Amino acid sequence: MAVGLRHFTARAGNGVGEPILDTDNGEELVHVQPSVSVAVGNRVPESPGTLYITNRQVIWLSELDREKGYAVGFLSLSLHAVSRDPEAYPSPCIYTQIETEADEVEDESEDSDSECSEVLDLSKIREMRFIPSDANQCVYDSVFPSTMDTLFQVFCECAELNPEPIEEGEEEGHNWIFSADQLEDEAGAGDDVEWHFSQNPTNTIGHSNGHHDLASSVLELQINDQRFDDAEEMEQDTDTGHHHQSQQ
Amino acid sequence: MTYLFFSYFKDLVGREVTVELKNDLAIRGTLHSVDQYLNIKLENTRVVDQDKYPHMLSVRNCFIRGSVVRYVQLPPDGVDIELLHDATRREARGG
Repeated sequence: MAVGLRHFTARAGNGVGEPILDTDNGEELVHVQPSVSVAVGNRVPESPGTLYITNRQVIWLSELDREKGYAVGFLSLSLHAVSRDPEAYPSPCIYTQIETEADEVEDESEDSDSECSEVLDLSKIREMRFIPSDANQCVYDSVFPSTMDTLFQVFCECAELNPEPIEEGEEEGHNWIFSADQLEDEAGAGDDVEWHFSQNPTNTIGHSNGHHDLASSVLELQINDQRFDDAEEMEQDTDTGHHHQSQQ
Repeated sequence: MTYLFFSYFKDLVGREVTVELKNDLAIRGTLHSVDQYLNIKLENTRVVDQDKYPHMLSVRNCFIRGSVVRYVQLPPDGVDIELLHDATRREARGG
């Protein structure tokens, strides 16, 4: 399910304007925050851009490089927090953790990898920081919420708009009651097994009395006699019907 | 079942809890709020294993997506066994 971080370049107005959203499917812009730097993984912050928060995802578009932009869906955002401790990070920022496909697999120190490699593999990025340039202003202003608090609130509200979709396969897995079709199939299969078992005791009884010769002659007689065959078939039918009833 | 936990956690708002995520990160903080999807908001948080996650040393507000939560450790006196028993029994009966 987790898609993780991805590149985003779809901008309106010949590539200079706002991000192109999936408005046909109900995506709406919720908040725009100019002058926000972004730090991907533990890389250095990139030149400022604009943060667009929609009801589906967070999009950051660079101001300088029109080809540069990132997006992450709220379904992939495991955690977001207001980080103001200079020991944790030099600038106050919105810290986010991103769930990636690779999270299913064993963690192989991606932090050092992503720093060394020339090509940035966004699908392996597990952290991202949004650093508003005016973050230090009004931080302790209790009357007007700071940019950070506003951003945090918007992130929260939009995250709540994106609950985990119920996966169909999962739903079936939890379902302990089989469908009516399955029930019938099960009953049919069970019937065959039952039938063989119920035949066995009859044979055993026939042979267990010690008169083996008598038993086999009777069997021959039955096989050669059409009337007995019919009778036996009828008996089988009755038996099968009985089992069906007891199973359902 | 989700609803049971939701109403249960709601009673713990304002208490200290430790939320352990599926990626092994454990965050301790004051439970600020919880919603029906078990999204959890913590205040005045700190990471339990600070050596492993130094950059998460402390954050003031933290929102954790319900689907990434593995465990929530409750304060010992925050566990009302009788209430939980009763609630789970009612849940099991389908009402």
